[in-house]
Amino acid sequence: MILNAPEQHADQNNAIPLTVIGGFLGAGKTTFLNHLLRQASCRYAVLVNDFGAVNVDVALIASHDGNTINLNNGCICCTMADGLGEALIRVLSAPVLPEHIVIEASGVGDPWQIAEVAMLEPDLQLAAVIVLADAEQLPAQLADSYIGDTVRRQLRRADLLMLNKIDLVDAARLQTAHETLAGLQPGLRVIETRDAKPPAMLMQFDHATTPERLPLFAPEDTPDHGIQRWLYRRNIRFEREKLERLLDSLPASLLRLKGWCWIEGENAPFLLQMTGSRWSLGATEKSSHPLLTSLLGEDSLLIGLGTARLPEDAVLTALFESAFAKTSLEMPVA
Amino acid sequence: MPATTIITARKIITMNPGLPEASHVAIRDGRILAVGNAEDMKFWPDAVIDTRFADKVLMPGFVEGHSHIMEGSIWPYSYVGYFDRVSPDGVMVSGLKSIDAVVERLKAVSDAMSDPNAILFAWGFDPIYFNDRRMTRLDLDRVSTTRPVLIIHASFHIINTNSFTLQKVGIDRSTNIDGVPKDADGEPAGELQGPAARIRLFRGLQWNALSDSVSSDSVRRFSRSAVINGATTVTDLHNELTELCLADFRKETSAADFPMRLVPALSRIGATTEQIIERIGKLKTTNSEKLYFGMVKLVVDGSIQGFTGRLRWPGYHNGAENGLWYIAPNELDEIVGKLHAAHVHMHIHTNGDEATELAINAIEAAQIAHYWADHRHTLQHCQMASPAQFKRMKALGICANLFSNHIYYWGDQHYAITMGPERANRLNAAGTAKNLGVPFGLHSDAPVTPLRPLFTAWCAVNRITASGRLLGPDERLSVADALAGITIGPAYTMRMDHLVGSIETGKFADFVVLEQDPFAVDPMTLKDIPIWGTICGGQVFQAPKP
Repeated sequence: MILNAPEQHADQNNAIPLTVIGGFLGAGKTTFLNHLLRQASCRYAVLVNDFGAVNVDVALIASHDGNTINLNNGCICCTMADGLGEALIRVLSAPVLPEHIVIEASGVGDPWQIAEVAMLEPDLQLAAVIVLADAEQLPAQLADSYIGDTVRRQLRRADLLMLNKIDLVDAARLQTAHETLAGLQPGLRVIETRDAKPPAMLMQFDHATTPERLPLFAPEDTPDHGIQRWLYRRNIRFEREKLERLLDSLPASLLRLKGWCWIEGENAPFLLQMTGSRWSLGATEKSSHPLLTSLLGEDSLLIGLGTARLPEDAVLTALFESAFAKTSLEMPVA
Repeated sequence: MPATTIITARKIITMNPGLPEASHVAIRDGRILAVGNAEDMKFWPDAVIDTRFADKVLMPGFVEGHSHIMEGSIWPYSYVGYFDRVSPDGVMVSGLKSIDAVVERLKAVSDAMSDPNAILFAWGFDPIYFNDRRMTRLDLDRVSTTRPVLIIHASFHIINTNSFTLQKVGIDRSTNIDGVPKDADGEPAGELQGPAARIRLFRGLQWNALSDSVSSDSVRRFSRSAVINGATTVTDLHNELTELCLADFRKETSAADFPMRLVPALSRIGATTEQIIERIGKLKTTNSEKLYFGMVKLVVDGSIQGFTGRLRWPGYHNGAENGLWYIAPNELDEIVGKLHAAHVHMHIHTNGDEATELAINAIEAAQIAHYWADHRHTLQHCQMASPAQFKRMKALGICANLFSNHIYYWGDQHYAITMGPERANRLNAAGTAKNLGVPFGLHSDAPVTPLRPLFTAWCAVNRITASGRLLGPDERLSVADALAGITIGPAYTMRMDHLVGSIETGKFADFVVLEQDPFAVDPMTLKDIPIWGTICGGQVFQAPKP
């Protein structure tokens, strides 16, 4: 697996993706996690600081053993009361492994400290650090002498920022919040949310190892949150170095990217995943090859989600076509 | 009628201002029946006279208001700190003044271990005393290349390892996280910092020295440490109090020969405030003579020497970025408000003065919303409080438990690196607390520093750093005030001053037996007064001879 984070271990084919949810107290982390558990587009293991705040629908609870709540949609929710390490060990030694682990950072903690766990554990890989911010409170929080530095520290290494509670601010204040963020962290990917509800499509990206599980093929495939979609399918080969360079320099309005990419010199497609600024490019599992072939043949498929500012399809397409291998330029368009 | 015993002593220092000195104390049923002179004892003609302590000095058993059960669990591992330290079994372990000396001690331990693959774990190391020369994996490779060698620092936040360990847990030059610093060649230097590196280490080794730290053995060892150092009431100031742990606490403290009163503070980690209120209420109904619940611990910031304490302007003397909140300021207001309204007694860790300020603000708001005359909420450590803050504490009825041992162990570093000259001089300002009438205790935070109340009192009386610097002479305490700071002072902050902390009729017969009179010795030798042992509930516990 090749990642833009060079520190990653080399053999992470079966590593479980881990997303860290950060953000100051009151930003909406718990609400976000509740949405995640309810929508449950895959078997999430959600690790929280305390159960008290997590308000799982009683109807969803299959069993509750003190440390762990098992939901009947396959998700589990664990408390980290006895430490992050203990909670992780519980999750990773469960009879059925989760498809995605989501860890809630403390409201004053630095989410990056938890992200480092995913970078060190061979059976985990860092999917993203998603930080929530309260659109109404953020400027005041940043200016607060007690907590300003704590909030800045949380934002410092966010891959994706969810600017939450936008319904509580007028257009001018929303603009101020965006400008403040841009000033702090140029190029930071920002998505606007109300009630910490992530766009369904955004989360369904997490776990799909084959394209039929993507919203691309889902019946309720309607844009929400002003999310723009970009879809690209063509029988071409990418040049690895050019593609990696491109992935590091994509426009900030592109929030997520997933794809099955044929790379020159390889005999199976590679899985491309990007959340905010963090991307990975890894070999696909052998067991998925027959299905991939039946769905895609030898086409490369890319699906991107972005904000309202996402460039037009033709612009994005041109960007990716600049990363083709020379040999594939002569190939016919599919 | 139950048996009465009269203990005679060369001198009894009661810490009761109404009768400061006595020569006889009568005890019955584990409690003090009477205090006075020989003539006062005439009312109990049938009492057994115990003259074993006729040439010794008795004081109330010392009260350690801030220590941890880890003082009992850490000692099976090798101590490699800079300063001499006495083990709970009375063995003096010499301090190590160079990294080579650490390596040499651990090499000897390693060579003596029968299993060549077993893990060697050591504790107490602090690189701050070695002029920034950090220990590396190469140093520890000289200890062993066949077994994991781990040293946890005095801060309990950083671990040093050897190359064998790094390889075994899969940390190498391709590892690139903040918590694994590299050497000049791009190899991991050997220090592991932060949660990620620690989780990798313990998962990789499938072993965690710090997870199951409480056991019956730990409780027993903790109590031996108390006996040797003259303490009869001892806190375990941050404990989640799992059922497993409670079972051990109850088993040991109900044994007839258990030599101290254990006072755990419930941690709020992992529970809602409502759950904490419910739990502490239930726990209090189970209190017994040697096990007391009632205190809840909150941790607001980190430590000063770890640069994680929260400071007001101008921040750290060396320009380091401000420290960390462990509870968000507005969350603190909410938690403190709810606990206060439910009359839950809080012990709030604040090291830096900004953390202290927020804790005072939170208690002030809680007091306005719900007046509680005698709350005795206590700021733990409260190391950098300013005179203005102490005045607010006085006005609001807030107590301080000061970390006087810091003056000796890190005073030089506070002067030169963390606080700079003027603020270092007001570190643990017991003199100001005394002058303003803020109720206070003095503590060790054992095992961070040794559980030795007489040493803690010595620090408050002399304010001498390890290098010999006099740090803030105007904050020095009299011997009498410092002795109150290790007896009745902390007992008050724990709401136990009606039971322990002075020698008065009705209180527990808990004494420390000293070989010398603290008021008669040179204050510079206060810490060196030999401790014969303790008496707890009338039962005598002789300390092993060093």
